[in-house]
Amino acid sequence: MPARPSRRSVLAASLAFPLAGALNACSVDGSAPSAAGPARLTFWSALRGSQQVVDAFNRSQNRIQVVFQQIPSGDQGGYAKLSNAARAGNAPDVATIEYPQVPGYAIDGVARDITDLVSDRLRAKLLPQALRLTTFAGRVFTVPLDVEPIVLHYRTDLFDQYGLDVPRTWDEFAATARLVRDRAPGRRLALFPTDGALQFAVFAWQAGARWFDTTGGAWNVSLADAPTRRVADYWQGLIEENLVYANASLSRQNDAQIAQGLVLARLSGAWDAGAQMKARPAQKGKWAIAPLPQWDPARPVVGTHGGSTFAVTKDCRNPEAAMEFIEWQVAHPDALRARLSSGTSSQYPAAPALVDVGRAAFDRAYYVGQDIYRLFETEAAKIRDGWIWGPRMSATQRVLQDGFARAGGGQGSLLDAVRAAEAGTMPDLTALGLATTEHSS
Amino acid sequence: MTLTASRPAVRPVPVPRVRTRRRERFACGVLMTPFFVLLVTVFLIPVGTAVWLSFFSADEPGLGFGPESTVFVGLRSYAAVLGDPTFLSGLGTVVLYCLLYLPLMVVGALGLALLLDSGVARLRAWAQLALFLPHAVPGIIAAIIWLYLYTPGISPVVDLLGKADITVNFLGVHAVLPAIVNIALWSNLGYNMVIFYAALQAVPREVLEAAVIDGAGPVRTALRIKTPLIRASVVMVALFTLIWALQLFTEPMLLSQSTPMISARFSPSMYIYDAAFTRNNYGLAASASVILLLCTIALSYGVTRWTNRSRAA
Repeated sequence: MPARPSRRSVLAASLAFPLAGALNACSVDGSAPSAAGPARLTFWSALRGSQQVVDAFNRSQNRIQVVFQQIPSGDQGGYAKLSNAARAGNAPDVATIEYPQVPGYAIDGVARDITDLVSDRLRAKLLPQALRLTTFAGRVFTVPLDVEPIVLHYRTDLFDQYGLDVPRTWDEFAATARLVRDRAPGRRLALFPTDGALQFAVFAWQAGARWFDTTGGAWNVSLADAPTRRVADYWQGLIEENLVYANASLSRQNDAQIAQGLVLARLSGAWDAGAQMKARPAQKGKWAIAPLPQWDPARPVVGTHGGSTFAVTKDCRNPEAAMEFIEWQVAHPDALRARLSSGTSSQYPAAPALVDVGRAAFDRAYYVGQDIYRLFETEAAKIRDGWIWGPRMSATQRVLQDGFARAGGGQGSLLDAVRAAEAGTMPDLTALGLATTEHSS
Repeated sequence: MTLTASRPAVRPVPVPRVRTRRRERFACGVLMTPFFVLLVTVFLIPVGTAVWLSFFSADEPGLGFGPESTVFVGLRSYAAVLGDPTFLSGLGTVVLYCLLYLPLMVVGALGLALLLDSGVARLRAWAQLALFLPHAVPGIIAAIIWLYLYTPGISPVVDLLGKADITVNFLGVHAVLPAIVNIALWSNLGYNMVIFYAALQAVPREVLEAAVIDGAGPVRTALRIKTPLIRASVVMVALFTLIWALQLFTEPMLLSQSTPMISARFSPSMYIYDAAFTRNNYGLAASASVILLLCTIALSYGVTRWTNRSRAA
């Protein structure tokens, strides 16, 4: 799950990037299995706790030796690094790809078609909704590590202080937001993140939108479909009524908003529980987690915000060994224990059998003993089926965020941003030679 | 230049003509080779590759998950670029940028050069050095310096203005383009001023004396006598500035890290970069590059034609 990097770490990462690239250009070798020693695999990831997982794997057996390289998170250069390495023919054996980017890397041929390598045993261990997000045209391209149902993180102390109930529907959410504005001027219930295209996508996903669809052997694109318009209008209303902040979430401003209690709630994936622990240890005991508000409480659904998958790349010369490592990472209890031991992760595993391991290994002190893994488990079961991400999601996301930033500054609306994102995505897809259709409903 | 340089101008010894010519050709070849090697390797081959990339694509049919095959796609990438509203808005941005930057640059540099030339400014050498110095700062460093001066919270300038009750967000919706123009002016004004100043030194003194005798004041001399005489330099500076401005990249790229008002596809060059390295769409990037190149050639040609014609008139 995308960690929330501070500005300084982003700067450091971007400065270190050329150097790191040069260093590992020399070290990427020896992925060939040798008869004498163990098979060597290189593994790239930006996920917290990966080093611990790799160490645990290397200790657990002596046939496969994994060399781990920490890379910047995707948007901060990690994806560019992977694409460039693949183009140069020296991609790592195993790479980490978040759900939205899976179709893109599958189309580019970076992520190998691993349908025949995924055993029935592994298939049975994974949450079907998660695996469906990495399966296209019946072929599996990556193996999901975690799913991150979107939830409502809220300040218990401030909710008590202002006499607020946890909202269960979006109507209640708006009503609560009004109460916050009236009772605590200067505070707001939540933030509409102008750099949160993926969050917005998850809201649309929950409402029943299908931005991309592959029926009929073509990419059918409809970003501004009816459910999305409903979501866009809803948030536009909240912004215009001045009920939520509208600024970037990866910003010093938002750090301050959370640190000073100016926002009472955060809407984000399960992973954010761990990120919050690491970022703001001083707020220990002040936060709790609740299900996301619903449009129709009788039929609750959610989407996943964040979550990563593992790909065997085209340059891997020992796909079987790579698959063995991946299977261990996503389905072995020791892997999850090792990751949670880093103390900063609240990853919710895509293998339901591991939930109990996570529950036992996660330190509940920060959330005053709340069993957040049980909550995530109920929420994960509500993940709405039928959503898939598009072939150039990073680009779609950027155009959408450019529009959100303008809308946050009072220029144009959220719906304009959605339409602009669709218009800015289509030329990409046609230039790639993909079969496409475009819909507006 | 190389031809005249290699001609044995002051050699009295008579050499058979054929040998001279052969020698000339040899010298010519030796002296020109580095230029042509560079022209081919850093210009013609990349341009050729871009043109090739823009007409071919590694396609997979349908959803794109099948095996790739490289096929000729004709003008498909060009149609995609020209149908992309984000590319067109980038072109619009750069046109607006040129309209702001070009007049300010030419008039500013010319004005400063005329001031220095007329002797109004004291400490001429120091003024020249101070104005030229920013040009020695690499563009990327200049952008970082200005980014620091623009960013609210850390900028002393914004801080001072704030104390005077003036709130300016240099990175806001409306101010961001002028902010970029400002960086470019700061970097290049001195350089172009030096070009104008050098041209002014070549203006014959008799002409200026004649103007003074005829009763022209310093302002009139500057505008009516000196400026028309260095017209060729003005055209050249305008042309180079235009070509440079069309490739707007460094400043917005760096500023985009600090303001969401500069999108990843802010200018055509940024669009090309984004297409190649975020979207891994090399066909799109290549055809956008070719379109930008054609626009630049057309505009440069237009400017030279227009100035030639108005000179003839």
